[in-house]
This record gives sequence, structure tokens and C-alpha cells, in this order.
Amino acid sequence: MAVQAFYGYVTDSLGLLSDSIHMFFDCVALGIGLFAAVASKWPPSERFPYGFGKIETLSGFGNGVFLGLLVNLVGMMAFGHHHHGHGHSHGHSHGCNGHAYEDKHSHNHGHSHSHQHHDEKPSHTHGHSHSHDNENMHGIYLHVLADTLGSAAVIASTVLTHFWKWSGWDPLASFLIAVLILLSALPLVKSSARRLLLTIPPETEYSLRETLSGITGLRGVVSYAAPKFWVDDRNAVSSADKLLGVMHVVAAKGADMEDVRDRVRNYLLEHKIDVTLQVEREGDNTCWCGVGRSTLAQPHMSTRSVGIF
Amino acid sequence: MAPGLPSIELSGTSSAPGEPSFHFTCDDYDKDTGQGSAASVVQGLEPSVAAPTRRSSSAFLHPQHAALLRPPTPESTLINMASEEGSATAASPASAPKNPFNFQTQFISTGPVKPNIGQRRGHRYKHSSISAQHQFFQEPPPRPPPVLPASLPVPTFKEAWASMQREQRARLWWCCCHAAVAMYVFFSAEGSLAMTALSHLVFFDVGSAAVCVAVDVLGNFEVWRRSSIRHPFGLQRAEVLAGFAMSVFLVFGGFDLISHNLKHLLESVGEHVPHHPTAATAAAAATPDRVHSHGHSHHGARYISPGTVDLASLAAAASTLVSAYGLRNHGRIRRVMRVPLPSYLGSILPAAGILANPFHFLTLCFSFLMLLLPLVSVPHFVWLDRLICAAIAASMFVLGTRLAVAQGLMLLMSYSGLPAVGSSGGDLKMGSDRKTVAAGKKTDERTVVVGGASESTVSSVVREIESEPQVAGVEEAQFWQVHYGLAMANLKVRLVRGCVDDATLSQLRSRLARVVQNRLGEGYGRGGNLRWEVTVQTSTEG
Repeated sequence: MAVQAFYGYVTDSLGLLSDSIHMFFDCVALGIGLFAAVASKWPPSERFPYGFGKIETLSGFGNGVFLGLLVNLVGMMAFGHHHHGHGHSHGHSHGCNGHAYEDKHSHNHGHSHSHQHHDEKPSHTHGHSHSHDNENMHGIYLHVLADTLGSAAVIASTVLTHFWKWSGWDPLASFLIAVLILLSALPLVKSSARRLLLTIPPETEYSLRETLSGITGLRGVVSYAAPKFWVDDRNAVSSADKLLGVMHVVAAKGADMEDVRDRVRNYLLEHKIDVTLQVEREGDNTCWCGVGRSTLAQPHMSTRSVGIF
Repeated sequence: MAPGLPSIELSGTSSAPGEPSFHFTCDDYDKDTGQGSAASVVQGLEPSVAAPTRRSSSAFLHPQHAALLRPPTPESTLINMASEEGSATAASPASAPKNPFNFQTQFISTGPVKPNIGQRRGHRYKHSSISAQHQFFQEPPPRPPPVLPASLPVPTFKEAWASMQREQRARLWWCCCHAAVAMYVFFSAEGSLAMTALSHLVFFDVGSAAVCVAVDVLGNFEVWRRSSIRHPFGLQRAEVLAGFAMSVFLVFGGFDLISHNLKHLLESVGEHVPHHPTAATAAAAATPDRVHSHGHSHHGARYISPGTVDLASLAAAASTLVSAYGLRNHGRIRRVMRVPLPSYLGSILPAAGILANPFHFLTLCFSFLMLLLPLVSVPHFVWLDRLICAAIAASMFVLGTRLAVAQGLMLLMSYSGLPAVGSSGGDLKMGSDRKTVAAGKKTDERTVVVGGASESTVSSVVREIESEPQVAGVEEAQFWQVHYGLAMANLKVRLVRGCVDDATLSQLRSRLARVVQNRLGEGYGRGGNLRWEVTVQTSTEG
């Protein structure tokens, strides 16, 4: 569509041309978003053992960072660097009166296009009924919003400049818009960063702690080590708070290791945690997790019984 | 309560009350129940035992139950065990404990006061003949404290500032200097596209230097490395995330420059052949000093007279050099990207260690170019300016995309294997690296040398694991990289029948871990190598 605009207006107007460049970049961003939305449904493979669930978050994060950078640029331009116009305020650096109308027109064009995209994508994902908020959609939405606001600012400042001849309207408008976009992009970046860092959300963390403290109560389990869990987002449909993870468990001297493995696994599966479980024998301290190496247990017991008296 | 309490009252009637210090055993009881040692006796009650251990101990201390307890006699041992289980679970809600403290119960002794007899430390009945014969009081297995802290405190800015060491502070100040240089380059770039592009590059350098400093400072804190429940891999993944953000910046900068370039090009074209009078005049009004687009016109305010030194590009080059030598930033980023450099570059230049880094290479290259052009009195062509800008923009875009893909893959929890060995030429330590890897392979005599480019891919490693004699098959193999220094391999392995003894299993596990580490852990000599945490879940065939 951007290409169409490009070729359609290539002989006509300079403003439209530069705007179509901008629109092209918008299209790229939206295309990445669309790709992410599609790719998140791909099944896991050998190279991607946990599927592509994170790709949407990644795209959202990228979009958020992109918007933040854009805001920086706009802000920098608002503070007196007028020599090149970019993005939302490009109408002005060339003088407003000349092709402001065309500019508006092309912006509207861009909007209809973007909105179409925007309308089409939720319908694409609504069928899956995402339980968690979708960062990808959020990012795309913000992007579109930023464009809309940008052109609104262009129109507003053009009108204002038309009535009151003050050159400060344009920087002021773009600065305001920049702050608005920044404020709306920050939560997006934060939440997606948290998810990409494999942070366990607080409410899950609480129940996870409970679950972990119950493991040593299982028969044959002496201790455990290196428990690492992360949120499973392979398929967003079923797993609301499912966890995946890794754990090493030390089996007592007399216990059957298969039995211990099944016991712990079933216990954790009851709590919606799917682990890869390595069962080690008590006293075997060859593993990297270092279960057998530290003797934390004895001093712990003695201090406790002293504490009673 | 139903099976427990009636029986204990029955047997308790004949006993002389007045054991003053029954409560010393309480601690033991609750651990016994928690551990489930009496589970074989009372099967039905087992599930509910584990939960209310603390309450049950306090219930025991209540005076109402105090009189019921007595030393177990041989004929009532079985009943007594049942009663303990029963009262532990069922009695606690019935008799709400008012005083859960131990010292209160010392006043309930009903017999004559014997000052110190019952109050010695330890278990009153543990060493009686009954207990010794029946293993009634089993020593509870020592329970370790929780392995993981729930969450470690994330340092605030103030704490981070306070924790900084001298060297780190120096790095921070240098980072600020670098930022100042970047600003200087940016603002002195008035009108010249190439300088603007160069300033973008320097900005990227500043950003990644800042990331380096931040990583260094955060490394002072425990939350960075140690895993907690909330952050299972520490915060080290944040570095990858910051790198990803930086690569987005690169791509963004590339886009920005390209669009500027295109716009200027279009403007000049429009100027040359005016299609549209209003637009052309508007554009001309914006850049009035550009009259002939293909002439020798100088670009706005930016004009370096031939023969003088361009201060801005000199500053850029100098700061990049200092950053490269002093800070060694981009080091980790480069390792992730695995950019194959042409080997002739490494052989020509002695400082290949630094130039192998594509980012330093770019910045240095272009800043020296900008420095040299006026020096050798090459006239400042507009097309040359544009060409340089386009080159920088294109390289930024390409590098940024590669970087974003490499780090995005890591953030997607995948492992992208090394390309063919030898592609990262120009690294001086490469030879020794290969030797150590080869030595590691020789010690591991079971390693099947596949050789060639497919040597270090995941599937070949899986194949190798499957070729172990005890392994019947690999059910699941998940290889993924957590951050720059850590990767995880989670394997579910089916074993052949008849090799389930512990020593074999342990050996097999360590052998698998070694295979993975040797094959996929890269570059021993290159600073931080990739550590693999291997977890093997075994099951027997059949």
C-alpha cells in the first residue's frame, strides 16, 4: 500500500513522497507485528524448544523502544534543531502553508490504512481469547496512536500558526505529543521487559514457594537444588499460569530413584509445574548443582533445638 | 480424632499422671509426622499429616492433652502411634491452643516437684528400651533450609552508586565524556549528512558503553548472579535485553538516516526538475543555500576548509579508541553476533582484536575517513557526503538487524549453534582455543568425531548422546541460551534395561554433561565462555 502511494504520487508532490517514506516505515513496523502474531502460533522445534510464545512480547518491546527513540528524536527537534524534519513534524520544516493540505490528506490516507490493519488484527487473535494482555497488540496500537496524535498535532499547530503567527506552536505541539507517547510507551516496555527477563509474577511466586517447601516432605526426597522455573507461554490458550522448569532432587539412600522421580513429578504436576527432573543419589556430589557439597543441614538442626531452650 | 483419642484415654487411665516435661518430645513428633515415617501404620491419615505440623505441636502442649500422654508400653505401641497421628491431625482444630509457648507448660506438673529430673535437654523416651527396640523415635532426617531465597533485593540507584568501586566510577565518568563527545559531534554536524550519520554511530557507542558500566556495577550485587524464585536466572538476562534495545536503536538510526537521505535526494531532484511549483519553492525555502544539487556547493554551516583538522571527527575517533581499549565494550555483543570477518583483515592489521569488533571498526573507519577528506583537500562533494551517509546507514541497518536477530533469538529461549569452526578468524586466541577443545575431546574417548561444519549443532550432539551404549533414546532435548554466559540443556533420556545402579547413572550423567559442554561450550580462552547447565531426567526402558 505504501508502494502504491509512492508510485501513485511520485510525479505529484514532494510532501506526499516524504510522507510515503514515513508510511513505508510504519508498514514495516506493522508487518513485523503481524509476523510476530503469526509466528507465535508456530509449534516448538529443536531450535526453539519453548516455541515462539515470546516473540510477541519481543515485538512489543521493540515497538516500545522504537517509540521511545522516536520521542527522543521529536523532542530533540522540538528543541531547536529544525534542519531536518522527520516523522510527524515533517510538514513544518518546509514551511506550512505550501502543502499542508496535501500533507493532511496523505496523513488521512495513512490512517485509513493503519486502522484497517488495526481492525483486522484483533479479529485475527480474538478467536484465541488471550488471557494475558498481549504486548504485541499493545505495541501496534501505540504505534498507530502515535501516528494519529502526530498528525493531529500537525493539523492543530498548522491551524494555530495560521491564526496566530507564532513559530512556537509547532515545537510545543510536538513536545506535548512526545511526552504523551513516552508516558504510554513506558508501561509497555516495562511489562514486556519483565516477561522477557523470565521473571515470575508475584502471585505465582507465592504459590511456588509453598509448593517448593512441600517437596522435602515427599517420601525419599532428601533435598533439592537448582530449582529454576519460568512461565510457559507455548500456547496462550490453556496455560494461564503454568510453569516450566528444571530441578535436581536428591534421593535418600534406600529410596528407589524411579519412584522418587515419579513422586516429585506428579506432585509438581498437580501444582501446574512441568519439570525436567534429575534425580541424584544422596552423597553423590558430582553434579554442577552442588547438592551434596554443602552441609547446611547439621548446623541448622542444632541451632534450632538450642533456640527452643 | 476418632481413631486416636478414645484409645489413648483407655490406656491413659492406668498410668500415673505427672510427667512434667512431655513437651520436649513435641518437636520430635511434629517432624516425625511431617516426614511421614509412621505412614505404614496409618495409611489413611497420611495426606493430611504434612500440612498442620506447627499447629499440632502446639495442640500437644495444651494442658488437656498433657495428662493423656504417658510412656508407651510394649502392648500399646501400635495404638499409641495411631493415636499420635490422630491427635496430630484431628485434635488441633478441636482444642484451640491458647498458649502456643513452651514455657507455659512447665506449670502443669501434677506430681511432686522434682526440679531438674525431667527437664534435661533431649528426648525423654528416646533411649528407653522400648524406643530402642521398635525404632519408635526415629531421628528425623535433617531438613535443609530453603534452597532459594524468595527474592533478592534489587538495588536502588543510591545503593548502586554507593557500591561502585574506583575503577567503575572512572568508567562511568568516561562514559559521560563519551556522551559529551557524541553530543558535540551531533551538534557540529549541522547540514552534513555524513557527520549526522557518524554521530548516530557514536551515540550507539555511548549507549553500549553505558550498558557495560551498568552491567559492571550491577555485578556487585547478589541479585545479578544468584537465582531466586522471582528471578530464576538472576538479572543477567537484562544485559541481553539492553543489547536488544540498542540494536533496535541501530535499526532505527539506519531507517532515520536512509529516510533523510532519500528526502534530500528527492528534494534535490524536485529542485532540478520542478514538477510542482509550490512544493519546490517550499523545499527551496527550507534549504536556501543549496542551489545546484550537483554542483560543488557546501552544505550549510558545515564547511571544513581543506588542510585543517576536523575536530569533531577527531574527537569521535579518539573516544572510540579509548572506549575500545579501556572499556572493552561491545565485547560480549560481538561474541553473540559471531560476525565472520575476512581473514585478510586479521593478518594485515596488528590491532585485529579491536578491529574484529564490527562496531569499533565502523566508527573508526568512518571517523578517519571524515578526518582525512579535508586533510587531503578533497573537495566536499554533496554526492560524497550522501554516499558516506548511505554507507553508514546501510551498515548500521545490517549490523542492527543481525544483532537484533541474534539477541532476539536468545530472548526467545533458543540456542543458535556456532557456524562452521574457523569462521571467526582474526581472533588471535582462536588457535589455542581449538587446541583446548581438541584436547578435551581426546580425554573423552567416547566422543564420536563428526567433524566439519555440522560438528557443534544441537542435533549432532543429540545424535551423539543417542549413540551412548546405555542410552536407548532421547525423548526430549531442550537446548537454550539464557544469557551471554549460561545455557541450559534439559534432556529426557530413556536408558536400556539393566544399568540402573547409581554409579553407572552418575557416570553417565557427568559424561553427557561433558559432551554437551565440550561440543557446545565455545571459546575457552575468550574471557567468559558459555557454561552449560545440563539436567538429565532418566527413565528405564520398558
